[in-house]
Amino acid sequence: MQVLWLKIAVVLYGLATLAVLPVALYDRSQWDRPRWASVAVPAALAAVFFHFVSLVEMLNAAHHLLPVEVHETRSLFGLIFGVTFLLVYWRYRTVSIGVFLLPIAFLLSLLPAFGHGHEELSAPAVHGGWIFLHVALLLAAYAALAVSLIASVLYLIEERRLKSKYKGSGMRWVPPLETLDQIAAKSLVLGFPCMTVGLMIGSFIAEASIGASFFFDPKVLLSFAMWGAYVAMIFIRQSAGLRGRRAVYLSSFVMVVVLAVWAANHFSQVHRFPTP
Amino acid sequence: MKLVLLGINHKTAPVEVRERLAIPASRLADATRTLLHHPGVREGMILSTCNRVELLTSQDGGDESQPANLLAFLHQYFALPPATVEPHLYEYREREAVRHLFRVASSLDSMVVGEPQILGQVKSAYTVAREVGAVQTELEGLLQRTFAVAKKVRHETQIGASSVSIASVAVELARKIFGSLDGKTVLLVGAGKMSELAARHLMEQGAAAVMVANRTHERAVHLAAQFAGTPVPFDQLYAQAAAADIVITSTGSSEPIFRREHGRQFLQARKNRPMFFIDIAVPRDVDPEMNRLEGIFVYDIDDLQSVAASNMAERSREAQAAEKIVSREVDRFQQRQQSLDAVGTVVALQNSAEEMRAAEMLRIRSRLAGLTDEQAAAVDALTRGLMKKFLHAPLSAVKQAAQEGDAETLEALRRSFRIDKDQEPGE
Repeated sequence: MQVLWLKIAVVLYGLATLAVLPVALYDRSQWDRPRWASVAVPAALAAVFFHFVSLVEMLNAAHHLLPVEVHETRSLFGLIFGVTFLLVYWRYRTVSIGVFLLPIAFLLSLLPAFGHGHEELSAPAVHGGWIFLHVALLLAAYAALAVSLIASVLYLIEERRLKSKYKGSGMRWVPPLETLDQIAAKSLVLGFPCMTVGLMIGSFIAEASIGASFFFDPKVLLSFAMWGAYVAMIFIRQSAGLRGRRAVYLSSFVMVVVLAVWAANHFSQVHRFPTP
Repeated sequence: MKLVLLGINHKTAPVEVRERLAIPASRLADATRTLLHHPGVREGMILSTCNRVELLTSQDGGDESQPANLLAFLHQYFALPPATVEPHLYEYREREAVRHLFRVASSLDSMVVGEPQILGQVKSAYTVAREVGAVQTELEGLLQRTFAVAKKVRHETQIGASSVSIASVAVELARKIFGSLDGKTVLLVGAGKMSELAARHLMEQGAAAVMVANRTHERAVHLAAQFAGTPVPFDQLYAQAAAADIVITSTGSSEPIFRREHGRQFLQARKNRPMFFIDIAVPRDVDPEMNRLEGIFVYDIDDLQSVAASNMAERSREAQAAEKIVSREVDRFQQRQQSLDAVGTVVALQNSAEEMRAAEMLRIRSRLAGLTDEQAAAVDALTRGLMKKFLHAPLSAVKQAAQEGDAETLEALRRSFRIDKDQEPGE
């Protein structure tokens, strides 16, 4: 049944995406047309509901509480993007950001819904009890960073449009600068505790199973560097009121670090400690 | 229903004529009542705005009835010689009257296409007419449909989405920067009329505070008092300007008042929070170089006019889409009206029954040959009476269904008595 629920969720994400795309495609549209929201938001809400049911059933059927294979992880990641879209809509009453978030949620759910077979995660010791929280929190932090980057890029685009005195058409759907700035800043603030607690849980688990040598692993060091970059970015944004071009550069830099950490954890087999 | 609309508007009459026909809100009920009592008028509504005066009437539609002379009403009510008004009048009947009403309420016939006030004005005219009993069944249906069409046009097109006046463009741009204007501070530098208007618009949209700086401090104090704002001594302008989110400048200075270095200073004080400069002055008060600073947005009068012109062009494009919606809705309304037209059904039903009665009388004529003329007349009257009694219930049902707008019941009755639409007599 869980695959059926997920398929329904994928169809609903697709519907929500189709409803929200005209906001960007129709240049003459205002940035927030209620009639698009009236389809996109209920469809996304239903998609998130079915997605959640599917994920719970999927984990329950597999007799574990954590996503131990790639499909489950992707599905969880997709769910986080769906929820993020709803949170942004609930807080700022804009569906524009869904132009990016809903297709991501759709694509991330597509493979688990229609793909076959299992792909176990490469990480060892993945079957521990707390690791679900570790994975979920880190995925939430990645999603928050992605949202912040998208909002910062949109800020830059809208700022350029305002500076050029609205010459030329296109991108009229982009939300106001202050809304984008708040989305960018608040998503980082929300992502910070997720990343901190996620890393802490991961560290405790690894220390218990591997020992202190875990902290000499280059990938682990890179993870802490990622956390440091995240903290630095929040501090700089808040203290200097960083917006526009420099905010995009900073968010992009941290995003590159995050992607490097993710890639290192997924693809590299290099360890400085013996795997159990 | 026989629908007639007579009127003048900004396209057909100069303001000198329009102002002579304009009816103030306090006299609208009286004028509507007078229109209702005009011979031939069954229902009526008067729409009087600064750009138009229109009489919408539903008139007695029988073949023998004379059409109401609305021109005579105008002459009598306003005591104007015919030559003053007649060349500027337009008259629409039936389908064209419906189309015109839909276009007016949808703001397609307005001076500024897409302006939102006209729908409220039509609704006010309707409310007054309804209160004096001038709008009942026939115009009620038409006007309800009119409001629905206007709403549809506004919902399905972007006809009213963009601003076309300088002041509203300034508000629209401020919204694109700040989102909501709630709690924002506006600084007026100079005390020009246009900057005052822009500030008023911003306040109406939620701006919380106004500061006014002027070289003549008394004028600043006077203008600040109008907005319950704060006057700022001109020598403290640079020290206090950073507190403002929106700065509107309109001084007569020959040199820019705000330059790039001021912009840097403001941004530092504001921790890079954006600032919006609306420069209405000529020569300009804000150095265009300020616009190069991240977080500062400068629009001069030409920029604002250019955005307004671009929005106006967009409205024209949207108006074409709106015209299509109106045409479709006029067709729909006409179809519905035809299906609800009880007169044709009543006449067809009576004709059908009379044909049956006449055929039966013909069939038994040989058997009634022995009757005297008096007796034959009595039989004829008896059959006519029976026919009328039989028809009373279905005819009442037809009329009631038409009055209630119940097209399904009307159709069912037509089918029961095998009345085709083709059998119904035309207008």
